[in-house]
Amino acid sequence: MEFLPLVVLSGLQVGCVYAMMALSYFVIINATGIVNFAQGEWMMLAAVFGAAMLLAALPYPLVFLASILAATLISLLAERLVIRPLEARGADINILVVGLLGVLVVVRHTTGLIFGREEVRLPGPFAENPLILGETVFVLPQTLFVFAVTAATFIALWLFLHRTSFGRSFRIAAIDPLGAQICGVDLGRVRFAAFAIGGLIAALLGWLYGPLHAAGNLMGEAPGVKGFIALIIGSLVSPLGALVGGLLLGLFEVAAAFYIGSLYSEAIAFVMLMLFLFVRPQGIIPARWGSG
Amino acid sequence: MKAAADQEVRRLLDRPSWPARRVAVWAAIVAVLLLAPLVVTNGYHLTLATNVIVTMILTFSLNFVIGRIGLFSLSHAAFLGVGGYVAAILAQRHGVEPWLTLPLAMAASMAIAGLIGVPVLRLRGFFLAVATLAFTLFADVFARQATDITGGAYGITNIPPLTLFGLPLRGPWMYEVAVLALLLSALVLENVRLSRLGRAILAARDNEAAAAAAGIDIPRTQLAGYVLSAAITGLAGWVYSFFHLTLNPFVLSLDITFLWLFIVLVGGLGSMRGAALASILLGVGPEMLGFAAAQQVLTAGVLVLLVVLLFPRGLGGLVEDIEARWRRRPATGDG
Repeated sequence: MEFLPLVVLSGLQVGCVYAMMALSYFVIINATGIVNFAQGEWMMLAAVFGAAMLLAALPYPLVFLASILAATLISLLAERLVIRPLEARGADINILVVGLLGVLVVVRHTTGLIFGREEVRLPGPFAENPLILGETVFVLPQTLFVFAVTAATFIALWLFLHRTSFGRSFRIAAIDPLGAQICGVDLGRVRFAAFAIGGLIAALLGWLYGPLHAAGNLMGEAPGVKGFIALIIGSLVSPLGALVGGLLLGLFEVAAAFYIGSLYSEAIAFVMLMLFLFVRPQGIIPARWGSG
Repeated sequence: MKAAADQEVRRLLDRPSWPARRVAVWAAIVAVLLLAPLVVTNGYHLTLATNVIVTMILTFSLNFVIGRIGLFSLSHAAFLGVGGYVAAILAQRHGVEPWLTLPLAMAASMAIAGLIGVPVLRLRGFFLAVATLAFTLFADVFARQATDITGGAYGITNIPPLTLFGLPLRGPWMYEVAVLALLLSALVLENVRLSRLGRAILAARDNEAAAAAAGIDIPRTQLAGYVLSAAITGLAGWVYSFFHLTLNPFVLSLDITFLWLFIVLVGGLGSMRGAALASILLGVGPEMLGFAAAQQVLTAGVLVLLVVLLFPRGLGGLVEDIEARWRRRPATGDG
């Protein structure tokens, strides 16, 4: 029992990573109905770019901003070059999935080719000495940074989607594109903004997850899959779903790893996904909360 | 899609399934494959050829699931791993007669596919993709971390070879076994295609409501197809284990999953000839150009993007077009 606070803190930290990933999926699904499976790669790009630029001794704030910007721009490029043509052709949804996985693989392995396949350290923005809170309880500044950024991202996104008229047009654009257009919603702008915000959140996550894990071309693999699972667990139609689903998945995984064994913690995501898809496909958060 | 499906159905009803010309072509291909070791004596080329044969078996079985059943499953690498690991572990750790591991490996793949298939096959689109991907991710981590069972990252080495009349089957002999496995897989899939099950699968793919109205139990039909393809995938895993005599978690990594999916798409959905061509192209091409194994999946990724964006019918479609021009008659969508 004495390790419980530590397990919870660590679970919440992993959960924040999944929640951020889920939020980045959510913005795009919410506006376009597309699950962009390459989302994890924008996170990876920001971290790998960051590590490479820091190695070149560029100033930290510049590296932070430039790497996030570059990753976001590449995500928009992928949308323009692959997703849009496929949609314009009216391609089958399965073909769209294949195209997205193609983007994922090409980005992942081209990065490996250019930047190498080794995992390198990405220093976080704060000092690394832990803050001691009790005999067996301590917390790293990076953990607090992860909590703060996740909370800020969630609040900003929630306010944007529910309290601004441009944000409100996102949901209607996905539900009824024609009706949205009649009401004066610029679908092109909504779509661009959704992919840009989704890419931006994923890229920002690179600076949360990178310092905790390491920067390398394969780092987007697990968070990329689990972020979408977290969103299904939470709710596909509410940003609160992304947050709750992510935190819950993280807590369960870390608790399982600590109390049962790390081998089984990997099965948690799959088991929870199956459970929710068949028992509660709408997710934890009731749909009406999504329309606040 | 609709017109092609109509034509396909008409063709299935009209033509005898195995005309003499077709039997001759198949026999010729098999003869060439079986006799290849007489010419190809270099061990490296033989390994490459065997890998391509194994890739073809895998591609055929995944193409059956994706192209015929219409389910974009990303869990087949896990079934390959199950087949391979069951064979390797039983033969190496428990001294089970290697030939006896063949039915066991296939049965294990089928059992896992059945277990996963019941809930997963009810999903479609993005949800099917993420559920099957999550399962492969789990299988991958299991193979890497359950060191006591799977040997961890180093996998299982020193697998005893298959023996025939007391002689160990290695190199060219194991290549022959792979060719026979390929022939068996192709024959089974081709005959299933023309069977009641195959027609039910096709009907369910093209119009679920109409198929259900005609009395087809869709979940059961699709599950049967899924489990059948897992059996063939398990067979490929078994061949892989006993050819290389060593097995590591690479076989069930997500990269392998993506590589297959891309090979199937590059070949063209539902086209067996396209799948075979793409297996050869992507199995041999990157190696011949001096790329590392990791670049194989990158090459496949670039090709699949080109295919989905520019040539949606893949290599199989290309071959059909050329053939149609050659014969001066319209393409039939023949697989």
